[in-house]
Amino acid sequence: MNEREFAKRMKPWLDRSADGLGEMQATRLKSARLRALDRVREPVRVLGLVTVGAGTADTLRYAVVPRALMWLPLLALIAVLAAKSLEETTDLGELDAALLTQELPPQAFIDQDFRSWLGKPFN
Amino acid sequence: MATPKEMSDFLASVERRAFKQAVFAVHEEESALDIVQDAMMKLAEKYSARPAEELPLLFQRILQNAIRDHFRRGKVRSTWTTLLSNLGLGGEDEEGDPLESLEIDDDGNVPASPEGRLEQSQVMGAIEEAVQALPDRQREAFLLRYWEELDVSETAKVMGCSEGSVKTHCSRATHALAKILKQKGITL
Repeated sequence: MNEREFAKRMKPWLDRSADGLGEMQATRLKSARLRALDRVREPVRVLGLVTVGAGTADTLRYAVVPRALMWLPLLALIAVLAAKSLEETTDLGELDAALLTQELPPQAFIDQDFRSWLGKPFN
Repeated sequence: MATPKEMSDFLASVERRAFKQAVFAVHEEESALDIVQDAMMKLAEKYSARPAEELPLLFQRILQNAIRDHFRRGKVRSTWTTLLSNLGLGGEDEEGDPLESLEIDDDGNVPASPEGRLEQSQVMGAIEEAVQALPDRQREAFLLRYWEELDVSETAKVMGCSEGSVKTHCSRATHALAKILKQKGITL
């Protein structure tokens, strides 16, 4: 008898052994199954775009989102600093533009003689 | 994805065999029930969105991992028990009392009549003992391949080994079973 044939003859015996479980084990297995089935959840639509399993939705809700929220204050700080630095750059740009568009050449402001010619005190 | 009915039907169809597999592996009904319950819960909780045809393979993977986890936990527990009893801190009240293994097996199956029935239950008992006596990996391969009817590559995936190893384990298991049954005078 080869391996496959032997296994084929064993199978009905194993099936019978499983079918012949006692009433108590069968009841406990059934209640375990029902408890497990309580945990089956319907799939969830995320942002109305994609459908994911309940497990994935839970992962998103309880793991990904809280972690993302932890980074939120840091991101806000970076955004404020970036905005501020952009604002300063704009101010300096305006100053430069004003300086360059005047009739006086910029060198005039660093020329000591020009200041004394204007008759203003040096300090 | 598997509908709740498909999931329910699948679990109902597999629960008894899963329980038997766990009993063959851990030799204890209480732990076997816990293992099957954990496996069913994990499948329902995490994989209910998978198509129904993927459930058998997923369930077998979860079940075999649960059996392995049981042994791992047992190993850790017995290490601590040995350590504590060596230190004289007790451990006598632990679950692993050897006397518990002498408990009588009352599975509630009373042979209704005749010799035929008696003979059948004796053969069944001998087969169960033979399967239980196999080395873990051989038993796992044999049951997955020939009882759960997974093919060689699926069995290899569940067991986390090569297809060659599955074939070797199955062949050795078959020869060992045939030998044990022959010694007991049982012909299938």
